[in-house]
Amino acid sequence: MKEIKDKMIAQIKAVFPEAVNKDYDGNRLDLTVNKEAVPSVLLYLKDSMGFRHLSHIAYVDWIEQGEFELVYILWSPLDKVKLYVHTRINRENPVIENIDMIWRQANTYEREIREMLGIEFTGLVAPDEFILEDWDDIPPFRKDFDTLEYVNRTFWHRPGREDAQDVRSTISERSGEEIPDFAKKYSR
Amino acid sequence: MREKATTIYLGPQHPGITGNMMVRLKVIGDTIVSAQTEVGYLHRAFEKLQERRNWLQGFTLMCRFCVPESDPMENVYARSVEAIDGREVPERGKYIRVMVLELARIATQLMWYAGQNGSLGLYTMGQWSIGDRDYILDLFEELTGGRVYHMYQWPGGVRRDLPEGFTDKVLRTLDYLEKRLKDYDDLMFANSIFQKRTQGVGIVPKENIIEHGVVGPVLRGAGIRSDIRIDEPYEVYDKLDFEIPTQEGSDIWARALVRRAEVHQSIRIIRQVIDQMPSGEYFNKFPNPLKWIVPAGDAYVRVESGRGEVGFYAVSDGTIHPRRMHLRGAAYVHAITLLESILPGQNIADVSAIMNSLGTCAPEIER
Repeated sequence: MKEIKDKMIAQIKAVFPEAVNKDYDGNRLDLTVNKEAVPSVLLYLKDSMGFRHLSHIAYVDWIEQGEFELVYILWSPLDKVKLYVHTRINRENPVIENIDMIWRQANTYEREIREMLGIEFTGLVAPDEFILEDWDDIPPFRKDFDTLEYVNRTFWHRPGREDAQDVRSTISERSGEEIPDFAKKYSR
Repeated sequence: MREKATTIYLGPQHPGITGNMMVRLKVIGDTIVSAQTEVGYLHRAFEKLQERRNWLQGFTLMCRFCVPESDPMENVYARSVEAIDGREVPERGKYIRVMVLELARIATQLMWYAGQNGSLGLYTMGQWSIGDRDYILDLFEELTGGRVYHMYQWPGGVRRDLPEGFTDKVLRTLDYLEKRLKDYDDLMFANSIFQKRTQGVGIVPKENIIEHGVVGPVLRGAGIRSDIRIDEPYEVYDKLDFEIPTQEGSDIWARALVRRAEVHQSIRIIRQVIDQMPSGEYFNKFPNPLKWIVPAGDAYVRVESGRGEVGFYAVSDGTIHPRRMHLRGAAYVHAITLLESILPGQNIADVSAIMNSLGTCAPEIER
């Protein structure tokens, strides 16, 4: 496995000298590339190096560094190597090239990422809405999206529950049982 | 005169669809000319919720991604945390996990028997196989306390050891199922209605398989011998002897034969697991969950579920909360781009059968 991976790294480095690799135990191999190089790197990996299967496109918000990360996970059925291609995108102007002409299913991933993280994919042809309907807030999977604040702003209490009563204390008042010690710190 | 296309909405509530999703069909007469999948009825944002929870709390959420198949999700969650944390699982824990995964595969395929036949109007088969699936759920209830969601495999092993006499019960259930599978063959595969409605229907073109990222029984139904249990063995699959069934037709019939053969292989695997089951610990303790810090890193692990590849990408930033959890399900790939590409030209009456045969599971798409 080690020789196969070393050979792969040498081949990738010969074509894309700016790619940074990181080696792990087992069949895992990591590659970090610029976002501009992503389509050409992926196309090369698929057509010339046997990484035929796009397993997953994962997305992470690194808000402290002001970046989004996309991870394209590829699988080579012949060499049995799992390759992670990492790329970082600036949060201020999140734009990256679309890759659904290489793997058709990337279209679905990109629709989700566009909606949940707000990354624009140039050349992506797909209906505007995927999961969310009439969403007018910041994309919800960004780390600065506050779920609790959004819920309080958007939804309202059922009639009779406006006081947001504490269920534990209400039950204990009705039944006369004391709230156990361990639960007291959660009760108001 | 050119005929005008009519738009028909299949779903979001439809007996032929697993979970709530909609397919917008444009039809001329009975023939579909275009299809578009619409989701958005089930988004529960499990992955977002997980970001506020600690590493242990995650595993109660992660099994809930897809209702008929909860165990592969638990397994990938546990293994992704183990991969980042460098946590080992005792040998007995691994064997128990394989047993649970294979029982889950049989349960999933029995559920599929029901869905596939129900979508063609053959309801007797569904009542039989759902009834038999309950015997497996009984086993799960005894082992884990839950019938559908088990919350059993967690980072470091499994939650409980096997109860007294459990393996005998499993073997008895397998013997019973094996007898029943013969009845299934008579009722389903020998049935000329089933043959006529499935042969040559819902063909996934072999030249499009790589472009669409096809996995699981759909891939094996197209003649490609690919299975994560062989390609990238996890747990103890490398110590077990089993076959990967394939078919050439790439239609609903071929995929049905693949799934039928997989049930037999699962029975074979479970018998070997029980035979080889080592004694000893079933679980390696993890630290206090409220203070459990997983070192910074990321991992993507995969498992072969009954419907194909299920993957899980976990990222830790070295705190007690995960940075990101991201699931990849088989339906995410099959039920949108692939389905939309194979439906044109098909008859409207076959849509439900095609969706079932691709392993559509709407809750897994939206998570």
